[in-house]
Amino acid sequence: MVKFLKPNKAVILLQGRFAGRKAVIVRSFDDGTRDRPYGHCLVSGISKYPAKVIKKDSAKKTAKNSRVKAFMKVVNYSHLMPTRYTLDVDLKDVVSPDSLVTKDKKVTAAKEIKKRFEERFKTGKNRWFFSKLRF
Amino acid sequence: MVAAKKTKKTHESINSRLALVMKSGRYTLGYKTVLKSLRNSKGKLVIIANNCPPLRKSEIEYYAMLAKVGVHHYNGNNVDLGTACGKYFRVCCLSIMDPGDSDIIKSMPGDH
Repeated sequence: MVKFLKPNKAVILLQGRFAGRKAVIVRSFDDGTRDRPYGHCLVSGISKYPAKVIKKDSAKKTAKNSRVKAFMKVVNYSHLMPTRYTLDVDLKDVVSPDSLVTKDKKVTAAKEIKKRFEERFKTGKNRWFFSKLRF
Repeated sequence: MVAAKKTKKTHESINSRLALVMKSGRYTLGYKTVLKSLRNSKGKLVIIANNCPPLRKSEIEYYAMLAKVGVHHYNGNNVDLGTACGKYFRVCCLSIMDPGDSDIIKSMPGDH
């Protein structure tokens, strides 16, 4: 009875090109919109996970390995698997439905998300989110 | 501690409560709609048949855990659950959204 598909929830995509990738809900549209008459949400997730980083690596290696490639997508709720994890990254100002319309807006938004994800990965928090789901 | 064998008496009481929900309440039958009802927080109780495939069962339980909704494992398979709902088809899982006159939600919670 508690709504759990809220912003900042970590989810796993089940269908599409990014199936098996982890993402975080940025905005949710429970009742749908005119174009999409079903419950859906805007997610931004990781398309390329950062590689394993150990203390012994040189600074150049850690910098190279902690790169994250991000994506944004509008996904139907039934193509998501919600998890009990959350990710407190503020992406609302960067990602919006109109930033998915044109290619250049998409690229700038993706770059910004990439930066924020990398920052978060470097702090070592939310380790689950940045680890690849093995299946 | 889960009771090893459900007594006949409680089993019949669940059946009668379900029958009352079918008559007076709102419910949905079937896996897809059960997940939908959990996602939009309309479901109040989820009942799963005992021969539900274990992956599907644990998926429904996980959703119910996120939504803080009770799950009841029905003592019978999907054929029995369909009969208990008064339907002529098999029902593997169902979700009760509005119990109507029944007290199924008040007397069932915490029963795993």
